[in-house]
Amino acid sequence: MARKTLLEYSRYPVAFGALFAQIFLIILLFVLTTVAFAGGDQRTISRFAGAMGYGFVVNIILSFTLWEIGFSIREEQVRGTLESLYLSPANKFSNLVSRIFAVLSITVLMCLGGLAVVSAVAGGLPVNNVGLGLLALLLTTSGFLGLGFVFAGITIKLKETAQILVNGLQFFFMIFCAMFYPFLALPSFVVDDISRWIPISYCVDLFRQTLLGQQPELGVSYAVEWVIVLAFGIVSPLVGYWIYHRIERKARTDGTLGEY
Amino acid sequence: MSRGFGLGRPGPRASAGVVWAVFRARLKIITRYKGAVFLESIIPVIFAGLPILLGAAVAGGEQNAANNFFAYTGTTGRTAADFRLYMLMGSNTFMVVTLMLWLIGYWVRREQETGTLEALYLTPAKRFHVLAGVTSYTFIRALIAFLVATVLGALLFNVNPLEGNFLAAVAYLVLGIPALWGISFFFGALVMRIKEANSVIQLLQWVLAFAMGVYFPVTVFPFLLRVVAMGFPPTLMNDAIRSTLLGIASIYGPWYVVLGLMLIAAWLVPLLGYEFFGWTERRVKRDQGVGQF
Repeated sequence: MARKTLLEYSRYPVAFGALFAQIFLIILLFVLTTVAFAGGDQRTISRFAGAMGYGFVVNIILSFTLWEIGFSIREEQVRGTLESLYLSPANKFSNLVSRIFAVLSITVLMCLGGLAVVSAVAGGLPVNNVGLGLLALLLTTSGFLGLGFVFAGITIKLKETAQILVNGLQFFFMIFCAMFYPFLALPSFVVDDISRWIPISYCVDLFRQTLLGQQPELGVSYAVEWVIVLAFGIVSPLVGYWIYHRIERKARTDGTLGEY
Repeated sequence: MSRGFGLGRPGPRASAGVVWAVFRARLKIITRYKGAVFLESIIPVIFAGLPILLGAAVAGGEQNAANNFFAYTGTTGRTAADFRLYMLMGSNTFMVVTLMLWLIGYWVRREQETGTLEALYLTPAKRFHVLAGVTSYTFIRALIAFLVATVLGALLFNVNPLEGNFLAAVAYLVLGIPALWGISFFFGALVMRIKEANSVIQLLQWVLAFAMGVYFPVTVFPFLLRVVAMGFPPTLMNDAIRSTLLGIASIYGPWYVVLGLMLIAAWLVPLLGYEFFGWTERRVKRDQGVGQF
């Protein structure tokens, strides 16, 4: 399945190249906006560009995980191949995970490129504790897989509307988990009443602050953030797959799997 | 219809019927997805909120952000409310442009995928009337999104767009729509040609965001890039709306120059776009046919 996804990508090279370029443009737009606000203060530009760049890495992994799993299920529905796929003896879990494998590999390249762009525009990025940062990112990605599974299930149930939901949630996370700016940019009541209740906020904060070499912004220690992110990385895929499995089973029992 | 077997050509009434049928069909489909309509009305508000929050955090306060921003961009706005309205209008206009391009490009793609594009080409209806139906629908949808987003944004950001000349701004928006149709025909042609165009359209959306100065005026660009961006109809529309609402100087000059340029764009761009669409269509039909996706 992963090979098939890669093969599909290779059939649309323009789309693939456009995806790369699009990511860079988004970052550039925000970094240039930061430059306009900073009033020429190079230290502020570098600090905010770092927060933005590392937040962007988490954002892009979340976006691709949510979109790729849910959207590829939707495509199978529209093309009419989903039902036949489920009649094959292939493992259902592998079937889901393989959809994201290719895109995650590509995402890594995009992230590196994106960070290079931010670094070039902002005149260098602070980089500390790379190993710990990567571990935090790994756990975060594992947690996002769980969300992706849930959305795969929701796509089977809600069909076209699921995409709107994914879109809406993407924006929700982008804003309230402060992916393109530090948490201090949000009003304190938003951070207290919303951001602190979302595990993804801690993933963003841990990854970003670890690499920036600064204290966590969410008012808890590094140890607490590690526990939350670790729990998210382990529990989320398990719960996510369980939810997906239930929805998929119900759709098969009702005979609605192939409907779109 | 007149004449006989295989020679039938739709008359004016039938053509109007084609436009209405396509328009109604698209509207009917979108009423099934109310969430999509709601989302496209709040996305501009979110897009405007991002730089406002970012600016306040970077500059250490909203007024500081506004001061830095207006000084850096050489714009004449002054207060934090000006700054918020500037961002809101940029985002709203961006949403209108995005919707116009996306809906027409996506319409072509959807017809390809569901296998109805080829069938559409076999009907005696003229392509122009089918496209007129789709573009009318995109116009209504974009206008609704713009107005709803303006109301929501005004409430959320505590700004009053009616303080400026709101009706003139809406008039500029309406006047800018034909040029957007023209660009969207280019997009439709692109989709027909390269097929899996979601990523390309998304990329071009962000190129547009850059070129039309969604977050900052194009005057901050280097000379060549600025000239290219200023020759782009959405930049003109965005600038006209902002300058009318905020009472700031347009980067194109006095109001009659802006109006003249908008009239030229409204006339010229749709013609060029439609020609390009027809040319691409003929090439695709000659090469592999419109049914392939």
